[in-house]
Amino acid sequence: MITTLAFVLVALTVALAVFGLVTTALGHPAGRAHTLVVGGIETLLVVQAVLAVLRVMGGVRPPETETFLIYLAVSVCVLPIGLQFARADETRWGGTVVAVTAIATGVAVLRLLALWGGASG
Amino acid sequence: MAENRGKNTSPERHDLSGTGRETGKGVGRVLVAVYAVFALSASARAGVQLLTKYHEAPLAYVLSAFAGVVYILATVGLAGRRAAYRALAWAAVLVELTGVLVVGTLSVAAPADFPESTVWSGYGAGYGWVPLVLPIFGLLWLRHTGSAAPTNSTRD
Repeated sequence: MITTLAFVLVALTVALAVFGLVTTALGHPAGRAHTLVVGGIETLLVVQAVLAVLRVMGGVRPPETETFLIYLAVSVCVLPIGLQFARADETRWGGTVVAVTAIATGVAVLRLLALWGGASG
Repeated sequence: MAENRGKNTSPERHDLSGTGRETGKGVGRVLVAVYAVFALSASARAGVQLLTKYHEAPLAYVLSAFAGVVYILATVGLAGRRAAYRALAWAAVLVELTGVLVVGTLSVAAPADFPESTVWSGYGAGYGWVPLVLPIFGLLWLRHTGSAAPTNSTRD
């Protein structure tokens, strides 16, 4: 796992959360803009997950490896599901749903960082 | 950022009118999303703990697993549309509120019995107090959507 990429991802999820809340405040439902932003961040999350899995397969063992892998799965899965759920609703609250899933994803990446820090890898 | 759909339909329509009293629509969808996140994190965490180190703190891990199940049931109940789902949501959220108050109090009064924290320890302080606030919002939302129902519901 690349520490820089992880920190960038945490910053991006925070930015996405703010974006979602702003669209709610402006009264816009979740739409194409949300899909594009989520798509970009999701691509980076997948890159991170692939890199991390490759390193774990290469022998790096973070403490609580099972927990690490679960957080890795969560970091990849939550945003697309949340986006789907948000876009299925035509009210302004779709953006807030995206924000909730963005925060959850950011927390998952922070937990990944903490666990990876103990990996001595 | 301008959305065509946003221009054509009033975003508030489903929030305030009596037509869409589903608990999973509008701002209720945010509630469902938060519940889903807690359902996922609580049950995944408890699953790992029960499978890998059950004997270290069985009570805490079983409680975490129980909390995870309650969050799953609340998520399903709030997202569902039929009356049975609403009943499920009521029950799950009430159990959740009881759980966070009882476990929160016990964890503060007898911390020695809770060496490993659960979602509900310290009234959910480790999770930004969300576990304490969430059931309150859940109950308010269920009451709000239930009492505003335009149909001749016998519920409530």
